[in-house]
Amino acid sequence: MKITTLTLAVAVVATGLAAEAGQPMNDLEIAHTAYTAGGLDIRYAHLALAISENDAVREFAQTMIRDHTAVNDAAGALIAELNVTPKDNDLSRALVEGAAAKRAEFMQLSGAAFDCAYATNELGYHQLVNKTVAEAFIPAVKVAPLKTLLEDALVTFRAHEAHAERMVDGLECAS
Amino acid sequence: MRQLTSFSRRRFGQGLGASLALVSAPQIARAHGGAHVVTVRMSRFAFLPAGVEIRPGDTVVWTNEDLAPHTATAHDGSWDTGALETATSRRMVFTAPGDFEYFCAFHPHMIGTVAVRPSGGG
Ligand SMILES: [Cu+2]
Repeated sequence: MKITTLTLAVAVVATGLAAEAGQPMNDLEIAHTAYTAGGLDIRYAHLALAISENDAVREFAQTMIRDHTAVNDAAGALIAELNVTPKDNDLSRALVEGAAAKRAEFMQLSGAAFDCAYATNELGYHQLVNKTVAEAFIPAVKVAPLKTLLEDALVTFRAHEAHAERMVDGLECAS
Repeated sequence: MRQLTSFSRRRFGQGLGASLALVSAPQIARAHGGAHVVTVRMSRFAFLPAGVEIRPGDTVVWTNEDLAPHTATAHDGSWDTGALETATSRRMVFTAPGDFEYFCAFHPHMIGTVAVRPSGGG
């Protein structure tokens, strides 16, 4: 159950974003998924701020809220400018369901157990999202400003991945 | 000039290419007296150039080219640009000599230095 999201997303990436019906994701679906992924990380971060008492974890969570809000604001502005509506899709739904399951799991935890679970998930989540954005979304997207936005977003998400790696190392979680 | 060049090169040892050192060169060149303005870009989660040398009374302008907000915050707490949203700038005038190490409060791996050196000899 816990790896449903990862498995599905990786499978989707591996098959060149062929959905069940065999349709590749279009720009509106890619935009929806990228926006959704950012929103989900913000939700994880709010949970971390509610539960964690670790300074490094709390600072990371605040940075996730600040940065993903900035990226999604830019995405929202572009969507408004292009006058289009992002389209929900299987990958977005899988991410939402996977994150809901994770949050339910995290809510049972506290202290170091929560910190390690959150930090490890943040690392894995950013690795997955970055791989998807770099290898699937950016090559596939057709509208130039959206491609530019995804490239800029990827710079941010990669910084988060490196930051998450340092956070996990610093917490010295037993593997 | 000579010292400044080695200063930038050391700073750029952090995974950045020689081309960036070339970009930084004009930032620290000065041919005459008077107050100067030096620009530091916040780009792809790095300060470019990471090291600047100025004279007392000079101004440093930080410009954020990333989507994510950044800050330039002195390690010793003596100055702080506060949060710079994307595509915004903030300027700070440095009057007292000293070497100021700074970082981004939101992304602490982003580090830089402002060296405020009295004029004379340079
Ligand atoms: Cu920053």
